Amino acid sequence: MHPQLQLLVALQDMMGMIREIEEQGSELEDMGFKTEGLEKLKEAQAELEAKIDPQLMGQFRRLTKKFGRAVVPVIGNSCTGCFAQIPTSFVSKTNAGRLQRCESCGRILYWP
Amino acid sequence: MDIAEVLKHTSSDLFLPDLQATDKTSALKELVAGLASGINLKNPDTILQMLQSREELGSTAVGPGVAFPHGRTLAVQELKILLARSTAGVDFDSEDGEPTHLFFVLVAPPQDMGHQYIKSLATLIDTIQDAGLREKLMAADNYEAFCAALKGE
Repeated sequence: MHPQLQLLVALQDMMGMIREIEEQGSELEDMGFKTEGLEKLKEAQAELEAKIDPQLMGQFRRLTKKFGRAVVPVIGNSCTGCFAQIPTSFVSKTNAGRLQRCESCGRILYWP
Repeated sequence: MDIAEVLKHTSSDLFLPDLQATDKTSALKELVAGLASGINLKNPDTILQMLQSREELGSTAVGPGVAFPHGRTLAVQELKILLARSTAGVDFDSEDGEPTHLFFVLVAPPQDMGHQYIKSLATLIDTIQDAGLREKLMAADNYEAFCAALKGE
């Protein structure tokens, strides 16, 4: 996987985790889970963001603001953000180390 | 959600009966390797990073000798549950300081809108409170016996 894409996926997973704790933290705490490390996790998020190319980070922020999630998996040759078909040639280009965006919606594509 | 429903998200390929790791970092790696092998994951590092981040929030070893590493990641397309056991025990930063012997690893996609994994987590935590059950799980010979014990059979 493209190293910058790996960072974006990790960042998006981490942002989702932070949001979940902020929105559903009490439910998890009721189950016995501690969430006292939230601030530490936010610091880790900032550290992760600093490792991402600024231009790419800008795109990621714009896409996140627009769609909620900037990076989406490709499943069955479809972008799971907008369900547009993704050319199979994109897979080999991604494997060759290039980032690919959906030609229809612009989201960053990830092959799980 | 009942325990039989929860167990639909696992399989014999997602059962590690004897973890070798004894510290948290190695255990997470071994658990993720088991997950990667069980469901043919292309990007296990993504899951490892997510689970490590989750542990930063606070240890998921919240049961007596039991941990529930969990979270959502783009790396999976549906909820998957890995069952694992350590005879020696793992130092997993549990609240009581005791070693962790049983692991239930839950990974779900971000689009798990029905919160299946939160419901599964709650069911597993409720179920595992029974000390007799934990003993049966430690003694189970195989995956089938492990699941049967969880279902109270």
